[in-house]
Amino acid sequence: MVKEIERAGIPVVHICTVVPISLTVGANRIVPAIAIPYPLGDPTLEPTEEKKLRRKLVEKALKSLQTEVDGQTVFED
Amino acid sequence: MHLELGKIKITDIQFGDLTKVEAGVLYVNKQELIDLIMEDDHIKGVSVELARPGEEVRITPVKDVIEPRVKVEGPGGIFPGVLNKVTTVGSGRTHVLSGAAVVTCGKIVGFQEGIIDMTGPGADYTPFSKLNNVCLVIEATEGLNQYEYEAAARMAGLKAASYLGQIGKDIQPDEIKVYETKPLLEQAVEYPNLPKVGYVYMLQTQGLLHDTYVYGVDAKKIVPTILYPTEIMDGAILSGNCVSACDKNTTYHHLNNPIIHDLYERHGKDINFMGIIITNENVYLADKERSSNWTAKFTKYLGLDGAIISQEGFGNPDTDLIMNCKKIEDEGVKTVIVTDEYAGRDGASQSLADADPKADAVVTGGNANEVIVLPPMKKVIGTLDYIDKIAGGFDGSLRPDGSIEAEIQVITGATNELGFNKMSAITY
Repeated sequence: MVKEIERAGIPVVHICTVVPISLTVGANRIVPAIAIPYPLGDPTLEPTEEKKLRRKLVEKALKSLQTEVDGQTVFED
Repeated sequence: MHLELGKIKITDIQFGDLTKVEAGVLYVNKQELIDLIMEDDHIKGVSVELARPGEEVRITPVKDVIEPRVKVEGPGGIFPGVLNKVTTVGSGRTHVLSGAAVVTCGKIVGFQEGIIDMTGPGADYTPFSKLNNVCLVIEATEGLNQYEYEAAARMAGLKAASYLGQIGKDIQPDEIKVYETKPLLEQAVEYPNLPKVGYVYMLQTQGLLHDTYVYGVDAKKIVPTILYPTEIMDGAILSGNCVSACDKNTTYHHLNNPIIHDLYERHGKDINFMGIIITNENVYLADKERSSNWTAKFTKYLGLDGAIISQEGFGNPDTDLIMNCKKIEDEGVKTVIVTDEYAGRDGASQSLADADPKADAVVTGGNANEVIVLPPMKKVIGTLDYIDKIAGGFDGSLRPDGSIEAEIQVITGATNELGFNKMSAITY
């Protein structure tokens, strides 16, 4: 899906836990997620802390979309 | 560590007044076994049924298969840390009721329980159709959540296998095999001219009812460590997982791991089998990185020339497999990976979710997406209620006449990734 959407000319950021698979399938912008059962959250955190974490991930993803990349890039912290 | 494994061959199974083995026949006192299972107040009811090779019987939904074993000499008991004290096992003598098994089944806990057909085309795909099975159909008390039910069913199977195993304690086995692995430095010099080979044993630990236990520890909480191979023959590792039926390692698979047995067969002949590194398949990337770093570190630390790596399950564990392979190869240790495939019904899709050129020696247990039609059976042990829901089934899998059209994924052990089956592939 990542590749097909990009082929249509729309930049994509792939938020995913297993970064190596994302690299193997060929995503260009990759933001590492939390864990496979809960990529965008963390049930071990208090709700207010979890909300901060979620917002941070989404903002990082949006920022990566606006970043020019030259080949596959993993956006670490 | 030195273990004598005594096999008592079981050729038939019957209910009887006394639980015993006589002339190869396992007699089971049904009420005694029911009373044992009903000691657990999480269980509302259990029915005990027998299934023999060749009978027109379908067992489903199957959770685990366990072989009856008993420690005869040496420290500890079978299933240490769970049924017995957490003593280090793997030495002395152990007796096995070979040809018999306990099969736990009953209402599903998730959607990944399986089918065992005792005859017909489905029987060819599961090794458990060749065994004399004591089936426990377990009914949970109301209000029990899925993981409590899974734990209760798991314990019931282990207790039943131990109860049956006990009767083998004073019986002279039909065959005794001796397995020995020495402490590392002694083992290394015993066969100095043979290549040193180890086994990297990946355990399913994704959680959410995909778990494995090592000496009673949930293996998602371990870091990779080293075991003597004989510890596994005494039940150091057991299945708590409900990953897809075709490629889960049941407790029976762990006890009889064919990679371990084959490595022992060649030990001292053309290889020096150094031991086992166990590792997990967790859902955090950092865990995957840490565990694969450590398996690679251990292969070097143990001085291995080569390693066999076996996977359990599929999907994201494909990444753990490839990480292990790549990092171990980077240490200069040759690898062979053992896996299975989800290549689509026509076999044309990519088989694994991850890949690397270093994974150039691969053994496959088969394509789990292949479709099979299983004819109706005269008797069902358990229930057909979940056939459409279990992994590999689809809406309409169960036909009105009781036949089943589904992917072989639904068959317990069909594409086992320890090679405990008949399917594979060769590239010319």
